[in-house]
Amino acid sequence: MKVPLYLAVAQWTLLFAFGLLLIVVYRQLGRMLHKDDAATPLGPALGSKAASLEYHRFADDTVQYVTPGDGQPTLLAFVEPTCPSCEQLVLALGTAAHAGELSGLRVLLLTSSPKSYLKVSDAFRATRLECGRILAPSATQAYGATSTPLLVAIDRDGVVRAAAPAIRLAEVRTFSRACLLPPEAESIPITAAARQHENDLEAATPAAGAD
Amino acid sequence: MDVLVLCAKTAVACLLIVAGGAKLSDPASFASTVRPFIPLRVAWRLLWAIAVGVSLAELAVGLASLTLPAVTALNIVVLAVACAFVAVSALGYAFHRGRSCRCFGALFQRKFTAAGVLRSAFIATIAALALGHAGAAALRLDVTARVLLFAAAGLLALVAFTAARARGPGREPEPEAVAQ
Repeated sequence: MKVPLYLAVAQWTLLFAFGLLLIVVYRQLGRMLHKDDAATPLGPALGSKAASLEYHRFADDTVQYVTPGDGQPTLLAFVEPTCPSCEQLVLALGTAAHAGELSGLRVLLLTSSPKSYLKVSDAFRATRLECGRILAPSATQAYGATSTPLLVAIDRDGVVRAAAPAIRLAEVRTFSRACLLPPEAESIPITAAARQHENDLEAATPAAGAD
Repeated sequence: MDVLVLCAKTAVACLLIVAGGAKLSDPASFASTVRPFIPLRVAWRLLWAIAVGVSLAELAVGLASLTLPAVTALNIVVLAVACAFVAVSALGYAFHRGRSCRCFGALFQRKFTAAGVLRSAFIATIAALALGHAGAAALRLDVTARVLLFAAAGLLALVAFTAARARGPGREPEPEAVAQ
């Protein structure tokens, strides 16, 4: 039986397309297997220009764009509703916002989860902070948000002034101060010692730390 | 000449199937690409629906073109789609330069660049080549061959969908599987 020419050509083309996709998957698999998490820095480099990003704002189901450097200091929190530490961070941010400590800042809770996932967390469900889902995967990569929670402080010029995992109110305060640093000031390296210092301060003033 | 025309036809059909399947894996991301091309402020649900519609249309045209080679009108539809690619690439290059085009979902991280416009023009050229005459005997397929081609094309879309889903961090994670 003679095979129609079209069928033969289509078979080879399909084979080629499958091969191409196989290479794509194989490369991705290789990348995942050889990923060295310890060598991957968490968060963007201090002093670097923050990347712009777009997100699906849950409040009104619209796409929003954030362009750091537009004159508004920004505090980005990379969080997931199913992450207990993230819930603590959301509560701390809520407390700081309620106390007026984040006034003048654009505060965004960014997640990779869809809106429906917010219901799994009381903190996410109740928060009045702006919350949305990051749309471009490249933005997550640009911010080095390889794990959550991650807090990033960006000043009015779009420069990253602090970036680190954070869950406590004292840390939120440090980050909010970092957002408002003048251009000539040095960025704040959020080290364990600095955190301890902030935590000690918080312990000394229990009323300020209460949610 | 027949081989060249048929190669062009099947290549563009496969490209549409892969692009449609890959885009369907993350409509939310594709919707964010569609957003700047719509001058009006529209609801997210509508954007999402447009993104899914475009992806399904690409997939449907690709599937039809591959499995119904004798229907010459489909070649014109494919050429129109390819020309639309060129127009979108050119508009993207003019007004949204450097932004991700998500032409293949998360499979390839292509952006609106001059090279992207050239690539689209190349695809349009191949689609135009597919308009060439091929012998009727070469295009004669029985029902079994059509069904098998359709199945293979469906499998290709599924593989593209899965590969794009595996590559894209924007996929929707299960609540238990979210990274802490």
